[in-house]
Amino acid sequence: MRNLLILIAKYGSTLLFLFLELVCFFLIINFNKSQGEIFLHSANLLSGKVNQQTQKISDFLRLEAENDSLLTENARLLETIINFRIHDQENNFEAFENKDSLAIYKFIPARICNKTTHLRNNYITLCSGKNDSIIEGMGVISNTGIVGIVNNVTDNYAQAITILHSQSRISAALKSSQYHGTLIWEGSEANKLSLITLPKYAEISVGDTIVTSGYSTVFPAGVPVGKVLNYSIDGGGDNYKVEVELFNNLNKLSYVYVINFPEKEEKEQVEISDGN
Amino acid sequence: MGTKWIGLIIRLLIVVFLQVVICKRINLDYGILSFAHIFIYPVWIMIAPTKIPRPLLITIAFFIGLFVDMFYDSPGVHAAASVFSAYARSMILRFLEPDIGYDTDHPFNLNKVGILWFISYCGVFLLAHLFFYYSVEAFSFVFFYEIIMSTIISLLFSVFIMLIFILLSNPKY
Repeated sequence: MRNLLILIAKYGSTLLFLFLELVCFFLIINFNKSQGEIFLHSANLLSGKVNQQTQKISDFLRLEAENDSLLTENARLLETIINFRIHDQENNFEAFENKDSLAIYKFIPARICNKTTHLRNNYITLCSGKNDSIIEGMGVISNTGIVGIVNNVTDNYAQAITILHSQSRISAALKSSQYHGTLIWEGSEANKLSLITLPKYAEISVGDTIVTSGYSTVFPAGVPVGKVLNYSIDGGGDNYKVEVELFNNLNKLSYVYVINFPEKEEKEQVEISDGN
Repeated sequence: MGTKWIGLIIRLLIVVFLQVVICKRINLDYGILSFAHIFIYPVWIMIAPTKIPRPLLITIAFFIGLFVDMFYDSPGVHAAASVFSAYARSMILRFLEPDIGYDTDHPFNLNKVGILWFISYCGVFLLAHLFFYYSVEAFSFVFFYEIIMSTIISLLFSVFIMLIFILLSNPKY
């Protein structure tokens, strides 16, 4: 208490000065239009700036979680769209958003851990495995096109053969006419595939879209693959050989979706028993 | 003693009256002179007796400013400037102290301190007051040019008017 009195005695006028100035500024800001506006504006500028910066930092810190949630959301949307597309007799989009029983294909989001694109046989490694219910033989797509097929799974990782692989064979069709053939990679460029065994009576023109046919158990029908760059009659003379430019660029991918097709075994069984 | 206080109060009423009735209306709308506003009430704070305790002077200055603000429709602006100049007064006096020191009984007696000292005291005091006033009025240093121009031009006019007031009223303290 004594110290406080000494303090007041010593700095009393300064404290009074500061106090009265505060009172004045309170009056100025509250009862003067232009000064009040300037104060509000400046305060908003300052607080806005501070808020913006803190938001930036927190956004950056939350980037990974944000990314994961977006990935999940994307997978869900893609799942809905693809299931909707193959189920087009029931033309109600909302039904597909909410009813899981209608979803024939399930999508599992995954991050790419490692990949090659420059070799003759290219693989990608995904950071998800059995624990995320990925199993061998599942298809891998990105939001812009197909990527490959899972061939090897451990608990936390999965390896997939990319479409840029000498052994990859993918059934694809012309979007406009449904004539289908097999997509192979001839090992030339990372964004060019060849569609072979397309019957030569198929109507085709440069720029046509190629989609997956849906005849295999790996990819659902209608996933966009690429567009026709040019075409020619094959050596044998019965088929077209079409050069396809891919929609997606495997070099730039970092997130993919693995397709789970629960009815896969059933479909394979019936095909085997049929003698295929 | 009593008459001294009465004199002080009468002087205070006169400067405030002059400020809000006459000086407020002076508006030189002629080029650069439009920046000029006459300030007379700071003269009371300026030559208030040094015997008045500093906190009391600051408080009185606050109320003078508030009273003037009532007529200028600018609550707080004149008050802020008055409080500032009242606070700064003792520092200015220390800064301008003559070699022989102040006459403790009559520090502002024109015959003792001389007209030149008085003009410089007036100038420095008003500079502090006006610069603070115009800064607060503009409320942003974006208007730096206006603040500086208003301060300088108002300073020239106000010092002149204040000197006339002091010569006429001739304070005895």
